[in-house]
Amino acid sequence: MDEKKKYPFHEKYFKKEWSYVTGSVLLAMLALALVIVTGGSWGVTGPLGMWGGKFLQLIGINADSWKAYNGSLAKYNFWTDQTAITDLGIVLGAFLSVLLATQFKIKKIKSMKNVWAAVLGGLLMGIGARLSLGCNIGAFFTALPAFSLHGWVFWISIFSGAAVGSQLLKKYFM
Amino acid sequence: MSDTTSTIKRTTSRVKETPEQRARKQKIQLTAGIIVAALLVLLGFYIQTQNPRGAFIWMIGLALGYTLQRSRFCFTASMRDPVLTGSTELTKAVIIALALASLGYMALQMKLTGVDLKNLGTDALKDASKLPGHVRAVGVHTVIGGFIFGIGAVIAGGCASGTLMRMGEGFIQQWIAIIFFIAGSVIGMVLLPIVQVNPILYQAKPIYLPQLLGGWVPAIIVQFGLLFVLYVLADWYGKKKSGEL
Repeated sequence: MDEKKKYPFHEKYFKKEWSYVTGSVLLAMLALALVIVTGGSWGVTGPLGMWGGKFLQLIGINADSWKAYNGSLAKYNFWTDQTAITDLGIVLGAFLSVLLATQFKIKKIKSMKNVWAAVLGGLLMGIGARLSLGCNIGAFFTALPAFSLHGWVFWISIFSGAAVGSQLLKKYFM
Repeated sequence: MSDTTSTIKRTTSRVKETPEQRARKQKIQLTAGIIVAALLVLLGFYIQTQNPRGAFIWMIGLALGYTLQRSRFCFTASMRDPVLTGSTELTKAVIIALALASLGYMALQMKLTGVDLKNLGTDALKDASKLPGHVRAVGVHTVIGGFIFGIGAVIAGGCASGTLMRMGEGFIQQWIAIIFFIAGSVIGMVLLPIVQVNPILYQAKPIYLPQLLGGWVPAIIVQFGLLFVLYVLADWYGKKKSGEL
């Protein structure tokens, strides 16, 4: 309480949470600004497979000769990959946001259940995103508003998946 | 919710920090924040040397992260909460974001296709997949991928953008999740060519609503009409679940 009175400016502009709808408006505008200037639309998961392939090369597995990569790893450059840059930006933008709000805290793992949830959830997201050619951004937030049917289909599918996931979460991971 | 319970546990198990300690901690974070902001600007200059549009892309990325964090925007929660808690606040926010983005893509695309779609299929614009936004193959693979992705996002506690945002917030769980997200992506990339040759699992044709419905007018009516109906439905469901109705 006393802090609010002491630093009203910081409280109002850096600490106070924004409404969800503020988020909606800004996300839509930022996504559009990106595609207008670069011609490339917002995505997130595309580069993950490339980073994984680069890692495999690092440990001596020549993934570039696989059909999935087909030589694309040799040409891959993180800084010319628009999606890689925005991905890094999301992590560090969020980091800056919590620091300026003075709310940064390392949130530790509470139990092994959280570790298994991260392992299984991460694997499923990776596989799912590649099969549907995108994630909740690339195959949804950049697809549905672009009048593509696969955005609508992806929404219905992810929604049913989320319903099943909620049941699994309650049963095994909570 | 789990976050507040953990803080309660933590404060009881540990000596409560004094107001002085807290003030000191906040000063450290603010100073760190200002230093980080300066470093991010410097990194922007570096990215610009590597990519002619790098600094702009970097700025948008940072703004996306800042916005996602400040507004606690979470696509996973927008699909999980109606089932798990009955709350549809985020679902409604996502629908608003979709409608606003639709407006923008509509303008960008219409400029290229022409109001009557007459430019679509010419040499300048071969098909809809060349348009701004992702107009991509739709089929059984979309359903399978989306379903798997939905399960994963709820279990991991964050979708693609949510995982990245929570990494920045300091969640160790999401730092583990990203490693396996990357591993899963590699598996998915290996699986995709196998799925793509199977005509039952993969349909290569994208379906573009203005083309499917025979023009921009019906596409606009269907797109915004559906979003409106879903918003009304979400609003009604949320109110019913919270006991307001």
